[in-house]
Amino acid sequence: MPAATQTTVDRLDKPSAYYLGRNKKRKYGRDRDDDDVGRERTPEEPEDPLKDAATLYVGNLSFYTTEEQIHELFAKCGEIKRLVMGLDRFHKTPCGFCFVEYYNHQDALDCMKYIGGTKLDERIIRTDLDPGFQEGRQYGRGKSGGQVRDEYRDEYDPGRGGYGRAIAEERQKEEDEYGKGR
Amino acid sequence: MADYDRRSGGSRGGYNNRKRRYRDDDEYDRRPQRRRYEEPLHLKVRKQLLGVAESPLKKTDEEINSIAKLVVDNYEDTEIRNQFLNLAVQLVVEQPFKIPFIAAIVLVINPTNPKVAQEILAKAGIAIREHLEAGAWREVKLVLRFLGCLQGLLEGDGVFPILEELFSRAVDLQTASSEDSLGLELVKIILLTIPYIMASSATEFEEQTLALLEKTDIIASTPHALEALVNPYPGNDEEDAQEPQSVIGLLQRQLQGESQQAWKLACIPRPWNIAKKEEEGMDAPAAATKHALPQINVPSPVAPGPRPRLPEIYFSVYADQEIETVPSTADIASSILRDSLIDTINILDFNRNATAKFLIDLDCYFAADTFVKRATQFDKLRNVDEGRSTWKPEDVAVDAVFSQLLQLPSPEHKLVYYHSVLTEACKVAPAAIAPSLGRAIRWLYKNVDWMDLELVYRFEDWFSHHLSNFGFTWKWTEWVDDVQLPMVHPKKAFMMGSLEKEIRLSFAARVRGTLPEPYQPLISEAKEKDTPDFKYNSAQMSYSEPAKEILRLLRAKAPEADIQVPLTSIEEAACSLGVTDPLIPSTDAYVTTICYLGSKSLSHVLSQIERCKDRLLSIGTQSESARRQIITSVMDYWQEKPGVGVNMVDKLLNYTILTPTSVVMWALGDQLGKGEGLVHSHIFEMVSSTVTKVTNRVRQIVMARNAAGLPADQVAILDETLTKEREEMGKLFAVIEDALVGVAGGSVDGMAESADQDLKGEAMLRGWGRRWLRVFRRKMAVEEAWVQEMLEQGAQAQAQAQAQAQAQAQAQAQAGSMEGIDGPGNGGQNGNGDANGGAYGGEAKDEELDEIL
Repeated sequence: MPAATQTTVDRLDKPSAYYLGRNKKRKYGRDRDDDDVGRERTPEEPEDPLKDAATLYVGNLSFYTTEEQIHELFAKCGEIKRLVMGLDRFHKTPCGFCFVEYYNHQDALDCMKYIGGTKLDERIIRTDLDPGFQEGRQYGRGKSGGQVRDEYRDEYDPGRGGYGRAIAEERQKEEDEYGKGR
Repeated sequence: MADYDRRSGGSRGGYNNRKRRYRDDDEYDRRPQRRRYEEPLHLKVRKQLLGVAESPLKKTDEEINSIAKLVVDNYEDTEIRNQFLNLAVQLVVEQPFKIPFIAAIVLVINPTNPKVAQEILAKAGIAIREHLEAGAWREVKLVLRFLGCLQGLLEGDGVFPILEELFSRAVDLQTASSEDSLGLELVKIILLTIPYIMASSATEFEEQTLALLEKTDIIASTPHALEALVNPYPGNDEEDAQEPQSVIGLLQRQLQGESQQAWKLACIPRPWNIAKKEEEGMDAPAAATKHALPQINVPSPVAPGPRPRLPEIYFSVYADQEIETVPSTADIASSILRDSLIDTINILDFNRNATAKFLIDLDCYFAADTFVKRATQFDKLRNVDEGRSTWKPEDVAVDAVFSQLLQLPSPEHKLVYYHSVLTEACKVAPAAIAPSLGRAIRWLYKNVDWMDLELVYRFEDWFSHHLSNFGFTWKWTEWVDDVQLPMVHPKKAFMMGSLEKEIRLSFAARVRGTLPEPYQPLISEAKEKDTPDFKYNSAQMSYSEPAKEILRLLRAKAPEADIQVPLTSIEEAACSLGVTDPLIPSTDAYVTTICYLGSKSLSHVLSQIERCKDRLLSIGTQSESARRQIITSVMDYWQEKPGVGVNMVDKLLNYTILTPTSVVMWALGDQLGKGEGLVHSHIFEMVSSTVTKVTNRVRQIVMARNAAGLPADQVAILDETLTKEREEMGKLFAVIEDALVGVAGGSVDGMAESADQDLKGEAMLRGWGRRWLRVFRRKMAVEEAWVQEMLEQGAQAQAQAQAQAQAQAQAQAQAGSMEGIDGPGNGGQNGNGDANGGAYGGEAKDEELDEIL
């Protein structure tokens, strides 16, 4: 039987479209090869930086979720080697993401399959395979220090500081200019 | 993940697509575009085949006919042909529910184009040979099932010769060892193939089946020597133990029963009946093209496969209800449904959403009328007409997940996978699944007193994790009477443990808010405090002044010599007070300070430990009791949040500041009391994770030595390490055994005197001792068996490798590559979650292992 190159249902332990999109653009510029996303990664692809990845990016955390909570959940997939909280660049407070590093690649894959998309602290969290943590990446890259998504978010999210910061600022300005209740 | 999903290029032209914030602009037209081209036929075949039988809205007959027509009409197109043939065989091993339907397609096609069946049989033959060689027994079983469904178009005896051959291998294995369980697996495969043959379009195989059943009886009906080891309900006292029902024994009895009912096999779907109808309309001889099964040999000896096995026990959380919501163990349907469900669950671990969908659509894949309508309420089952099924599809599905979650010694995947399947199923169909889960929880809770202790903790772990995904809502009022129970009562212990775990995933105030009034005292005020107090701030504390000095110095990152000063002053003071080991109070002060300084978060305490590593390491080498004081101080400081403490102990083990023995001695010696220490779930967690660290280390060494192509001298070095580590493991288990035997037998100090005062409590404590003992005796037996088996496999693989290398060297002197050898020793990496657990000793030990290699 020829090696099964594609499972009959998609795998959840593949890098996200976000990660692949970033990579693809850098490598080949834009091409419309959407099939590539659904393709099984065969182990022979040597250039794949995620081949042995044991680190996960974890997103959509509440600002109030603690390391202990994260540890409690993520340890269900294997022993954790390191946990790096994402911090606001200016205030050095949690800003809603983290990196979880396992000892084993398989544990990280299992985490993608079993924990990504489930709830922690009553929020659905997102996991993505990551080639590895590097110093500096723990800080938010948004203008005001947090994550970019928290700049322009126009829904109110009490777990992530209310409205997006830029939006909140704008609202504030409007209120100042036109009076309350406008 | 959807929020990051990006469409590439297209309508947005050269616009910089990276700025996600512009995505919702008006110019970005999200309206779906009409498909501008006809879908290529091979994709149509793929899509239809993938979706066969999936939808309750489509008529399966029509789907089957439509695919059959597409394939027959376009069979000359290689793309379509390959798509169909490959996907059909792949579906067989990836989506077992669909096997009968795929077989039906082949049966429908056969009269018009016999080549299709011939080619698919060839493909299936190749597949099954590969699986046989790899020892992939589940896949062997599934391909056999497919062939069994096709029995009607096979020449001669069809699949029976393979079954006979499997049986003779099983006999070999069973005669070789009384503890053999691979032979049982082979017999199980035979027994699970039979119903599909008997339900297939083939007739006149009753005699052969009965003859085969007669032969399997001796193996299937004899209780296995190790059954008691994996009994989920060993009982608290000997008298309330439940007789374990082995899966294979049940199957044998059910099949014998079915043979007396003309092989009704009511739950198996028979989609091939449409093929029969069509045949009747055609000229008989042309329709009846039969095919020979490709040559399939079962290797001898058979390949053991990646996962050492133990006998399987049938487990159900819906036993003894007033109305049957799942098939009783007397009914063959219980085995057929369970087997397909378990395979589906375990195969599709890479997509829990797909698994959940299969669970919810269960009724699509079995005969109509097998189940009541989905989401029928339990109370409504009373109104079901006499003679009709009262089986709830969601109960049957949930039952199968629990059978895995609560399988001893361990299921195929990490436990959290089964959590996630239940979460997902509950999300997709809450109205159907949630009430079923509720009844499962009640049943498990009712039986907590008799369940194997390891399973109680798995239940606790799942329960708290599940609730954390659904707003922590549970009808706690149901158990309100049990709040009054003493702490040593298994139900109360379960309650406390579950609440503690809920808090660990959330926070105390949140969990408190979900509890009715009578439960409030169970969560103390102190749990809501983020940072526990530094006990030396109280002037009443002895050594408070020097301890505060240590705090000041550590905070200021003062040099070690400076820190020694207050430590020495504590030790001198202790000496003058007549303390036998002055290192104990100084260690207490030092470690408590570290905890306090690191109380902000895990990273804080880790960096603090890192800074104090050398001194902490030296404490243990000076005095064993001071080493255990480290644990006492940590657990004291974190008494309100024992989870944090257990976690810290775990990290201290990685630094080798603590030793596994010291942790076990602490938990089962210092903290034991009369056995009260055993009721805390965090103590069990601490001991069992410590044991797992040690056993994982042994497993890693075994895996390393079994790795293909390792030179002999390195194998020798690893073997030496292995012997040493196995000895250590044995010693650790012996320490546990000694401590627990005392509690179980009631011989711990203080137990005897108070014997008549609190008889019931004493009995309960002895029960805890026995329950713990069972768990750790099993762990030891499982580990020893695992190592033994893997070493044997490794030896076999190495012998094979040598033989192959020699043969290769003879054949072509220049190429001596050993890459192609894939000994079964490598296979151990799959499966068992425990095996992948993590590295004992963290980085340091990893490197050590690397060095050895």
